[in-house]
Amino acid sequence: MQNNKIHSLLVIIILFLAWEISFHLLNLKWYLLPPPSMILVSILNNAHLLFLSLLTTLKIAIVALILSVIVSTSFSIVFYFSKFIERSLTPITVILQVTPIIAIAPLISIWVDSSEIATLICAFLVAFFPLLANTIAGFKSTEKKHLELLRLYGANKYQILRFVVIPNALPYFLSGLKISSGLALIGAIVGEFVIGPISGHSGLAYRIIESGYQLDIPKMFGAVFLISLSGIMLFNLVRLISYLILRKWHSSYQQVD
Amino acid sequence: MGLRILSEKERQKNIDDNESNLIAQLQGVSKKFKSTKNESLHDINLEVYQEDFLSILGSSGCGKTTILKMMCGLIKSTAGKINWPTSNFQNSSENPANLSFVFQEPNLLPWMNVYDNIKLPLKIYKENSYKADENIYDIIKLVGLEGFEEYYPRQLSGGMSMRVSIARALVTQPKVLLMDEPFSALDETRRFDLSQEILKIKKEKKLTVVYVTHSIYESVFLSNRIYVMQSNPGKIFEEFDFSNQEKPEDYRFTPQFFEQTKIVSDSLKRAQNAE
Repeated sequence: MQNNKIHSLLVIIILFLAWEISFHLLNLKWYLLPPPSMILVSILNNAHLLFLSLLTTLKIAIVALILSVIVSTSFSIVFYFSKFIERSLTPITVILQVTPIIAIAPLISIWVDSSEIATLICAFLVAFFPLLANTIAGFKSTEKKHLELLRLYGANKYQILRFVVIPNALPYFLSGLKISSGLALIGAIVGEFVIGPISGHSGLAYRIIESGYQLDIPKMFGAVFLISLSGIMLFNLVRLISYLILRKWHSSYQQVD
Repeated sequence: MGLRILSEKERQKNIDDNESNLIAQLQGVSKKFKSTKNESLHDINLEVYQEDFLSILGSSGCGKTTILKMMCGLIKSTAGKINWPTSNFQNSSENPANLSFVFQEPNLLPWMNVYDNIKLPLKIYKENSYKADENIYDIIKLVGLEGFEEYYPRQLSGGMSMRVSIARALVTQPKVLLMDEPFSALDETRRFDLSQEILKIKKEKKLTVVYVTHSIYESVFLSNRIYVMQSNPGKIFEEFDFSNQEKPEDYRFTPQFFEQTKIVSDSLKRAQNAE
């Protein structure tokens, strides 16, 4: 495990070095492809601005993720208790999923005054569906033998939900959360691109547009790096949560001697 | 010679003589699943007497498990009835703990440790306001799981998991234990040890056991009565009774054991030929 991390870190360092060296050797134009050192300097120069934008984007992604967790879990539980509601609502969730967010974003920005909330809605719409689909799949994968066991002891539907259905769905839910954590960030960026700068302090997407206007390519790269970085952070956060919840019993965390 | 095949007449006489001991009686029970064309079980007549160790012996797929599941209400029969002469042995909402079931595989919940798995039935009872004694540690001791309370199912061997499963079935202090080929996945030594322990526990707790198996040795070793089944559709083929026979300590290695094994084995062969 530790070895693997060192390996991938080495690969990244070598890539950046190769980039830096080839920039100088091949005499590349800095305004087309700036070298990593220049990007780093630009990030440091614009640290305050970029950091606040990072916070704005991260806040939207995280709030969207939390909303998706709440909504998809409640939907799954409602669907568990009522097949009728499930049958009626499933098509709507699918329609929302297959419609590209870029297509609805302008509408949302017309309906909602605050650009922050409009972007949040975009991020939520993108992040919500994979989580819902995974959680529902988890609910449905409850093993028959476990249900029989609970019924044998006279458990009611609510007890079956608590003792068997929810714990059984957790691994599915958490792998959905991994997908959604990336998508929430994408939604937050795409939303801001289409809707425009977020009121208060604009997010990283607007920093990219702004750098384009100013032809400040190093800053643009800086913003892109920060987006990737926050994506990695979000993903690892979910992975940590997943590890803490599942490590004791789930086979994906089997200790190897 | 203790082992006898019962004729219909003898069976009826047995029922009349032991009426006060009769705790469950299946009368003409049949079962047809929606997904299959033919009946899986046809006209099953079967009696369970108090403190019986009753084996239902048959080849795979003859419907043995279905009989057990119908007895504890997990499956409904399509015809016939299951009588419980007194309510003292049947599971009901007032008294859900009379019957317990040991599944073919341990069927533990992987997200709960050993202690919580064993406690689960009590937890459910309590929430449904049925009184249940907390005797978890006694049971853990009884099945030899001390020190394993914090383990999760994936850390346990097959034999250990089965012990947890048995402990979970015993924790509700049932009067009747239904066991569905509980040891079929274990190696021979483990199976020997566990069946020995089951006999001990049965004696200690005065349990009635209904035991489904495809092992002739196991059924002869453990039980005082055996129903041999044939399949397609599942039917009772012959019934053996050796209640009036004392089993010596080393019964498994006596000529008597081998003789009786042969008799039951012949019966099972005839049952298969009769299909």
